[in-house]
Amino acid sequence: MNLIGEKISYRPDEQFHLNDVSFNFKKGNLYTILGRTLSGKTTLLKTIAGLLNPDQGSISFEEKDFIKIPVWERNVAMVYQQFINYPHLNVYENITFPLEQRKLSPEQIKKDVDEALKTVGLVGFENRKIQELSGGQQQRVALARSLAKKAKILLLDEPLVNLDYKLREQLREEFKRIFSEGLSQDTILIYSTTDPQEVMELNGEVIVLDEGKVLQKGPAKEIFENPSNLKVAEISNDPPMNVLKGSKNSKNLNFENISLEIPNHFKNLEDKDYNFGIRASEIKLDENGEEFEIELAEISGSETLLHLKRGNSKIIALIEEVMNFKIHEKVKINFNANKFYAFAEDEKLVSSPYGGTNG
Amino acid sequence: MNFKHKFVFLFPGLFVLIGILIFPIIFTIRLSLSGWNSYTPEMNFIGITNYIRLFTDDPRFWESFFRLSFLSVTTVILQYVIGFALAMMVWREIKFKRFFRVIFLVPMMTTPVIMTVIWRTFFHESLGPVNDLLGGLGVKPILWLSDPVIAKFTVIIVEVWQWTPFMFLLLLAGLLSLPKEPFLAAAIDGASPFRKFVYVTFPLMAPISIGAIIIRLIEASKIMDTVFVLTSGGPGTATETSSFYIYIKGLREFQMGYAATLSFTYLVIMIISLTIIAKVLTKLMIKE
Amino acid sequence: MSKLYTFLKYFFITFWTVFVVAPFLWAVSTSFKDFQSVNSKVTYIPWLDFEPTLEGWRVLIKSPAKGGVDIVEPYFNSIFVTCTASLISIVLGTLAAYALSRFTFKAGFVRNNDITFFFISQRIMPPIVLSIPFFIFLSTIGLLDSLLGLVVVYIVLLMPIAVWIMVDFFNRVPKELDETALIDGCNPYQAFYKVVLPNSIPGLIVAGMFCIIFGWIDFFFAFILTFTEVQLLPVKVVALNSSITPWWSLSASALVSVAPLIIVAFIVERYLSKGNLSGALK
Repeated sequence: MNLIGEKISYRPDEQFHLNDVSFNFKKGNLYTILGRTLSGKTTLLKTIAGLLNPDQGSISFEEKDFIKIPVWERNVAMVYQQFINYPHLNVYENITFPLEQRKLSPEQIKKDVDEALKTVGLVGFENRKIQELSGGQQQRVALARSLAKKAKILLLDEPLVNLDYKLREQLREEFKRIFSEGLSQDTILIYSTTDPQEVMELNGEVIVLDEGKVLQKGPAKEIFENPSNLKVAEISNDPPMNVLKGSKNSKNLNFENISLEIPNHFKNLEDKDYNFGIRASEIKLDENGEEFEIELAEISGSETLLHLKRGNSKIIALIEEVMNFKIHEKVKINFNANKFYAFAEDEKLVSSPYGGTNG
Repeated sequence: MNFKHKFVFLFPGLFVLIGILIFPIIFTIRLSLSGWNSYTPEMNFIGITNYIRLFTDDPRFWESFFRLSFLSVTTVILQYVIGFALAMMVWREIKFKRFFRVIFLVPMMTTPVIMTVIWRTFFHESLGPVNDLLGGLGVKPILWLSDPVIAKFTVIIVEVWQWTPFMFLLLLAGLLSLPKEPFLAAAIDGASPFRKFVYVTFPLMAPISIGAIIIRLIEASKIMDTVFVLTSGGPGTATETSSFYIYIKGLREFQMGYAATLSFTYLVIMIISLTIIAKVLTKLMIKE
Repeated sequence: MSKLYTFLKYFFITFWTVFVVAPFLWAVSTSFKDFQSVNSKVTYIPWLDFEPTLEGWRVLIKSPAKGGVDIVEPYFNSIFVTCTASLISIVLGTLAAYALSRFTFKAGFVRNNDITFFFISQRIMPPIVLSIPFFIFLSTIGLLDSLLGLVVVYIVLLMPIAVWIMVDFFNRVPKELDETALIDGCNPYQAFYKVVLPNSIPGLIVAGMFCIIFGWIDFFFAFILTFTEVQLLPVKVVALNSSITPWWSLSASALVSVAPLIIVAFIVERYLSKGNLSGALK
């Protein structure tokens, strides 16, 4: 009874948009697809919806060949990153549109629409024109339309990306509530995003997609703690995980003329060259630390992002307060060695502070 | 998206157009290889005799073609310059903006032959207002329609009046769709209006300009109505254009076969020269 | 600098406005003249220069038997041919434009752009090139000198315009809109008429206006392909332009025939700022 995709490839031009993607989505679960822009997230969702036909592979749902069923009979719902509603209809008509298309009884339609309006908090907006609404409200209408359909597959394609910061935070909270309360156990929810934080907060099953390929699958926590390779580590962290080319010998970890004591979880590592990974948040300012040069300092909210350089290495440090720095100024920083990741030279994970290995 | 339904959308229009055109085109080619005229009105086959005649023994066609080139290029250049100027003037806020925009559009809404009938009275050499008013200023009557050189310019004036609005419309639509950022940037840099035009407006408008010029050249190459009514190609053949010459050969002298030869040759020349012009314009106006 | 610029600007605008309006003013004035006021000397202002009469206007609705011109029938012929051909062109052209904007077509080396170009390139065809074969074609199928025959020919003139404007318009309607309609249970036809069409009204209006303009102003095909049974307005008016031209009725009929399209100028101006045209040029 699951939504199963097997070895799906889609290659409309020289490049693969989807490359050998397989999945098995179970009802009642939330799946997030994490990937950068143009990684194939939208293509995957459109393939599931039936807007695109894959060149290879199969999709089945409830034991039926999904590819043979045209979009308009699949009973899926999709929310786009652009706020797509029907501009010639008002809010109420927008939400009833798919229900009338399915020829439901007027009473049923009224009931479903009112419920959906309530869920997304748009009661009282029924007669507004779409153009009179703010971006956030427009996206709520799109969501309400998708919810009212009670579709068995609900696809959300970066629904928050075009909203401003504050609205995004607010709507994300609501999404969490709606997903946990408002959906039946019959629904498969697939949510794509570029934002690792969103993935962690939604806390579903994650598929990491890059250049049309699946890099890693697993629960959000697992992806965060044990990224299977460097690419995943970069994609699943914002700012991306810092990479430092270095080596381990019997006594120390060495990179850019810095030596660190070997942390416990690295004790059993072979002595050789590695790509060390460290999150921006695990780097602290420290008078007794190592000297780096500031290339750029960005203040974002209550945090400061420091782009630092030393030798051939460029890293980003996340400072939990607002501070002013001058460009080219030297600062001293300290790495939390206990949070170091080690990736082999082929970029596969060798050792993580959370105990996972892939090697 | 790719559904089999796509053909249902495309095919009616496509096949109606092909259906209407296929006969005329094939027929023209076949006719051009025949000696159909008023004495022998039949589809005999005389090979490329007509084409040999056209390329060796018909200077009047080639003259009419060069005349057409001169008329259409001149009018389109004038239309472009004036149309661009007018569009620039009513692009931004100006008093009675909408009034002027409508006024500037009006001529293209009028039927060219009918307006030409009015222009004929307007430029009438003894009873028309132009010569009368100029006479008031002491200017001798100008032979607007009967002097071989001046008649060409009369045709140009009428064509410019008629079709500058189309150029104006396309260019104004283009101006209105331009992004605002480059102009803000130029304003912040304190660029003078002249520099702003040369470095911002004009380059941004280049692709639109090329499109508008090509469209107008296509339409101008069909100059026919104006000439037909205003001068009937005269005096002599002074304003005779290709279309008009083909008309005379085909539908006045009934040399259908030869007229078809002219038509087909003319069409081929038009397609080739418009393609070349489009390429050249693109090279000249878009520098990268 | 800027003062000179402002001066030149207003000078030019005034000059051009006068140039645009002059023939109309002249025609209005002439339409109220009689033989005397046209042929004695050049006159301009009624009552002041000449005694106005309504004769020029009156003959327009008189039947030819009573020495009138009777432009009523040609008027309705023109309206019928223009509207019918525009409507067919818009319907077929819009459908084709939608297909070309949304779906991918491949046949040999032919792609969407080539098909679009085929449609639009029909404007390159000089009327004279088509007129001779059409003349023979229509006489073969017995449609010479008939309204239907003209409608067929006008479709060739107008469909390229409809396709040109609508392809560009649809290219700027987000395709996610139709996709959402499909996802919401519409088949492609329903998506088109329930969602795309209601949101394409500005484009349809602009395309419609252009079809009406280029249909209404055609003279050549009407001139070649009709004789006595059917007359269109431009042919009728030009026929007045004989050697002993009655300038007054000529002017009056000219004014009557260009008048309806002036409304089109207002409509086009209104939709202009929505930028419905510019993209089509690239």
